[in-house]
Amino acid sequence: MDSALSLEGVSKRYGRFEAVKDLSFAVEPGTICGFLGPNGAGKTSTLRMILGLTDPNAGRITVLGADNGGKVRDRIGFLPEERGLYRKMTPVDAIAFFAALKGVPMGEGRKRARRLLEEQGLADSMKKPMKALSKGMAQKVQLMASIAHEPELVILDEPFSGLDPVNQEGLEQIIRGLASRGATVLFSTHVMQHAERLCQKVVLLAKGRKVFEGSVAAARAEAPMHLEIEGRVTAADVAALPGVAAVESVAVEGEEDGVYAHSASLAKTADPQAALKAAFSRGLDVRRFEMKPPTLHDAFIVLTGGDR
Amino acid sequence: MRRMFLIARREYFAYARTVGFWLSMLVLPMFILLGASLPGYMRDSAPLRHVAVVDLSGAGVGAELTAAVERNRVKDVADDLRDAAVAEAGPEKADSVRDAAEKEGVEAGVARLKAVAPRTAAAWRTPASKVRVIAPPTDVAAARTVADAERALRPYIEGDRTLAGDRTLDAAVILTMRNGEPAARFWSKGVTDTRAEDTIRDGLEEVVKARRLAAAGVTPEQARELETVRPRLDVFSTRSASGQAVEFRDRLPGLIGFIFGMLLWSTIITGASILLNSVMEEKSNRVLEVLLSSASTTEILAGKVTGVAAITATVLGVWSAFGALALAGVASAAPGIVGDFVSVLTEGGLIVYLLIYLIGGYLMYALLFAAIGAFCETPREAQTLLGPIMILLSAPIIVLQLAIRTPDMALVKILSWVPLFTPFLMPARITAEPPLVEVIGTMVGMGLTAAFMIWLGGKAFRAGALSTAKLDWKGVFALLRRER
Repeated sequence: MDSALSLEGVSKRYGRFEAVKDLSFAVEPGTICGFLGPNGAGKTSTLRMILGLTDPNAGRITVLGADNGGKVRDRIGFLPEERGLYRKMTPVDAIAFFAALKGVPMGEGRKRARRLLEEQGLADSMKKPMKALSKGMAQKVQLMASIAHEPELVILDEPFSGLDPVNQEGLEQIIRGLASRGATVLFSTHVMQHAERLCQKVVLLAKGRKVFEGSVAAARAEAPMHLEIEGRVTAADVAALPGVAAVESVAVEGEEDGVYAHSASLAKTADPQAALKAAFSRGLDVRRFEMKPPTLHDAFIVLTGGDR
Repeated sequence: MRRMFLIARREYFAYARTVGFWLSMLVLPMFILLGASLPGYMRDSAPLRHVAVVDLSGAGVGAELTAAVERNRVKDVADDLRDAAVAEAGPEKADSVRDAAEKEGVEAGVARLKAVAPRTAAAWRTPASKVRVIAPPTDVAAARTVADAERALRPYIEGDRTLAGDRTLDAAVILTMRNGEPAARFWSKGVTDTRAEDTIRDGLEEVVKARRLAAAGVTPEQARELETVRPRLDVFSTRSASGQAVEFRDRLPGLIGFIFGMLLWSTIITGASILLNSVMEEKSNRVLEVLLSSASTTEILAGKVTGVAAITATVLGVWSAFGALALAGVASAAPGIVGDFVSVLTEGGLIVYLLIYLIGGYLMYALLFAAIGAFCETPREAQTLLGPIMILLSAPIIVLQLAIRTPDMALVKILSWVPLFTPFLMPARITAEPPLVEVIGTMVGMGLTAAFMIWLGGKAFRAGALSTAKLDWKGVFALLRRER
């Protein structure tokens, strides 16, 4: 199956500054892909090139089979990082206007706008001007304006920023809904929990370069496993266990002297079971032993070299 | 095309649905209406001033002054009668109305007006005199010295005493002889309203002139005859419509050129400014990036330019409707003028030229202003970039006046070749029939500049819309170089 989106050796320079360097990745149709990276990693520059707003200095971008996002703009939905709509327009008019720009007849656009607003609990705000809406409401309206034309590819730049937890949950549902009807979703975010819950695939960028592309599980595997060990055990005892690369220890409050809580990082290829066996065989006074698999957040820190 | 239309429609209704738009549009016709009616209203509503003449000259200067003031009033009315008659009766018959009034009195002038311009005469109202010369109160008249007269006058002037019939005395003039010639001391309560003072000064001037002429052997009748001398000067031009005498119609193209030059300037600048504000608002509201992902730069720019052009056309349409109403009013009195106006506009395709200059000028400035708007989020930022352009834009307004009077002046010719000035200066020059090569050459220059602006405007618009660059011309040029 052809990719919904593919980049091959894409670079973008602004004067002497190289924002994106030799970037290649692909997103399959119907998948949700997280586009992750610290500030200034080149995410927004890449998204703008995908949309055809700016041209790459090198490389090739294919979007929904076209060599320029601009040629298939009617099939793409885009929510920029810095959001805003016409302040005097009503939500219905705003959604219908942007849907009309993407080829949806104005009457049909209004119908869809009303339905989407009702689904999102904004029925009461349909006739208010945008300037009268709260920031969260306005953000929802803009998201609806970017998907009312039922695009095949949805690009969301930091869609969760500025939303409260309830609205974040609502947005996650919308994104899942888009994917379930076959749309491809590419979104950038700093909040790894969202990516962890939503994405089948993540692409990590650091200083303009891709540092990872693959599934969330594969990304996690790039980060070390952690062991949480508690008991009358010294840091040296924990450090001597097989596979332990580093230990951080604190005394446990409310316990007698000599009881510590240790957090041990394992080497990438280490087997946590071997450490557990060794602890028992060495007769260590262990009261709690817990294996903690790495999170996407851990992977993000490791893969981007802590460059946040 | 669909996207362009949608953007144009949104742009149009965003303005056309606001009350402020219609209010500001009506300001100009209201201003013109006020400007036209205010002086007449002010004249009619001005209060009557009573001026007492205290004659201590011992040479009958008081009677001479009273007669001179009346003669001046008749002269003013005669001029008003002529001005009123000229539209309906033409200059020659209008002159005859004035002559009748001056020589035989206001009634004779009005009678002549009825004969040559009956429609105007039906609406004519002879303006009442606003300064009336009266005899002084008896206690003032009894004074034999200037000091006595002034002492007696003071309570009347200050309002402590009134004249017979409880009338107030607004001012007084004490006439004496100094060095053998009439002289006067003028007293009044106020210092700002100088109508009475001006009336007395003009009257006294007439008295002194008449006395000097009499001393030189000229009779008062001869003196008055000399005052009304108006030598006949027939003006001819090889370029006049008749090929001979220059008529009002021949001067009309120059007038139309000037009016259209000013109108184009204000229309273009207004339209371009609306566009600048619209783009600036979209940039500050963060709408531009979404718009750019929904339509091409060309579609957005074309849509916005078309939308604002429609707004401008609405403004011009409403103003034209007011203009047509005004013309209809004039037509009822002077059908010839309207015919001349229409024939000047259509003859030689003048209206087509004006339309081309309007479109070319609007395109150049609209795209320039839209591109500037894409770099700005606040009016202050826009001011930084617009400053030099606005200084540049004031030049044609100054030169426009020269272009009407002397369209072949070297400075006017040279500046009309500068494409950014062409749309303002050429409408003024075109009525003087400049060489065809200049007409075509300046149009080509303007067309090429408009095409360059379309290209540059698109490039700058995209660069500006996505940038947060430092706001000065250096930063803008750096961004443009970067934009690929």
